[in-house]
Amino acid sequence: MTPTEAGPRRAAADYVRQLQPGGIGVAILLVIAAIVSWSAWFTVEPEEVGVVLRFGRYDRQSPPGLHLKLPWPVESVEKVPVQRQLKEEFGFRTRTAEIRTRYEESPDFQREAQMLTGDLNVAVVEWTAQFRVRDPYKYLFKVREVRATFRDLNETVMREVVGDRSVNEVLTIGRQEIAAEAERRLQELCDQYDTGIHVEQIVLQDVNPPEAVKPSFNEVNQAQQEREKMINESRAEYNRVIPRARGEAEQTVQQAEGYATDRVNRARGDAEAFKSVLAAYRRSPEVTRRRIYLETMNAILPRIKRKVIIDSSLKGVLPLLNLDRPAEKKP
Amino acid sequence: MKPALLAAFGALGLLGLLVVMSAVYRVSETEQVVITEFGQPVGGPISEPGLHLKKPFLQKTNYFERRFLEWEGDPNQVPTRDKRFVYVECFARWKITDPLLFFQRLRDEAGAQSRLDDILDGETRNTIAKHDLIEVVRSTNRSFAVSGDPADEGAALGGETIEAGRTALALEILRTAAARTADLGIEILDFRFKRIAYVEEVQKEVYSRMISERRRIAERYRSEGAGEAARIQGEKDRELKAITSEAYRRAQEIRGRADASAADIYAEAHNRDPEFFRFVRSLEALRDSLDEETLILLSTDGEFLRYLEQAR
Repeated sequence: MTPTEAGPRRAAADYVRQLQPGGIGVAILLVIAAIVSWSAWFTVEPEEVGVVLRFGRYDRQSPPGLHLKLPWPVESVEKVPVQRQLKEEFGFRTRTAEIRTRYEESPDFQREAQMLTGDLNVAVVEWTAQFRVRDPYKYLFKVREVRATFRDLNETVMREVVGDRSVNEVLTIGRQEIAAEAERRLQELCDQYDTGIHVEQIVLQDVNPPEAVKPSFNEVNQAQQEREKMINESRAEYNRVIPRARGEAEQTVQQAEGYATDRVNRARGDAEAFKSVLAAYRRSPEVTRRRIYLETMNAILPRIKRKVIIDSSLKGVLPLLNLDRPAEKKP
Repeated sequence: MKPALLAAFGALGLLGLLVVMSAVYRVSETEQVVITEFGQPVGGPISEPGLHLKKPFLQKTNYFERRFLEWEGDPNQVPTRDKRFVYVECFARWKITDPLLFFQRLRDEAGAQSRLDDILDGETRNTIAKHDLIEVVRSTNRSFAVSGDPADEGAALGGETIEAGRTALALEILRTAAARTADLGIEILDFRFKRIAYVEEVQKEVYSRMISERRRIAERYRSEGAGEAARIQGEKDRELKAITSEAYRRAQEIRGRADASAADIYAEAHNRDPEFFRFVRSLEALRDSLDEETLILLSTDGEFLRYLEQAR
């Protein structure tokens, strides 16, 4: 009871005391008038729509704003937030939605999220369903406990979809597909149940293996990393050795080529030189032969420190020679 | 106006109001009504929302829901055909289709709920017990998507074909139950499994199986890594040998060819006068091989000192 209503009523009571006894009727009328006028208008918020019932029968919908209606008990209003995006959470609950949102945890939520996969493993799938009320009439009058029903449908659909997939699919590659498939089936069911709900989106949140199994899943990831590491290291070794070996091989070949060129050129040069000398020799053999001989001696003898000249008349000179002399020079 | 008259009018008015209030009743969008006269139903059920009239005082209104109503199964431990214990939670939605019959047979919602418990819980138990667990979990024979990882090895389990599947089983329960509720004035609109979970002990087994499965996969990854590393190492060794030996071969070929053609070139030149070649080459060899430590004995008979002798 609001003060505005209490005010006229107290005034009416005073009035009744003054105007005995015919005044009672007037007072009653005044009270009724107050109630009636209070219940003759209503406000619809911007995101809502007002559903007006006349004697419990659906009559009309009112857009946001201030509206008149027939007073109680003829007409009554139910307000439905049709523009607002509503949300149901599964496997967790947002406690306070702030910059750093906090979540509540409870074993009940765990059970909500725990489900069997198609290979009879267990996965923990958390998700939210975002929806809007598309048809306020159906939303209000077709299903009792429509939010609870919606939750039931969500759980059913998600388990159906997950139940048809392997745990690996659920945890890794299948996420988007699962969300899309669940969204489609959920909408079908919502229509079948006449809930008037339009499913906007199903968003998969954390999808995890059960807590007890998590470490071994991490171990798999770790092993995967290890595998990559081993392969990479081996590749590194390969890369360190092979290109270098290729270069070195090329070097060997090039060196051989160089040797070949050198060898052939030298042979040619030598051959040409020989041919030229030969030509000269042929022109005057005796002199040339002698000259070459003497020139050679000339080149050899100055370098040689020990020379012994033996007269052709001496015989048996060899024993006199001290052939060990170079050894004496040693310290 | 005399007070007595006023009181009489007042009483009459009050009576009239009572009569009207008893004769008029309201049916909302969510309700339907059965009229009874001294406990005996009169006429058909009224489900049209709005204001309606009845005989005042003699007739009584009995309100029933017109909306879809909820039913929650008792979360129950049920063995499947393959002897696995699972908790099955299910729910159904039903509505009162024939309020009159409903009123006669079940009286009220509580009666309906307990009857539904009997029927649906029983049927659920029967159906689950007749099927393997996999039938309750999967709905189709869809083959699992495989990413090519050895982690998907276990997906071979998806090879199990199911005959009915989750949705079909729920439908089967719905159908059997519907047959048994036909004469109760209610209709079960839908029946579904909400949650199916392993019971505690089975859960532990499943977890340890999952763990060992992961271990297997991890080991596989590790061994794959080592194997691949060894393969690369072998490839490296092989290539190294191939590269060096190939280079050696080519180098030797090149050298050999060069030596051969050098020999040809020399031979061609030297063959013009082999005797002269021997002479020249011998002198050359001498020049190169005699060093300062050599002891040389020169006879005055020799070519070189001949003139020394003669000059005497």
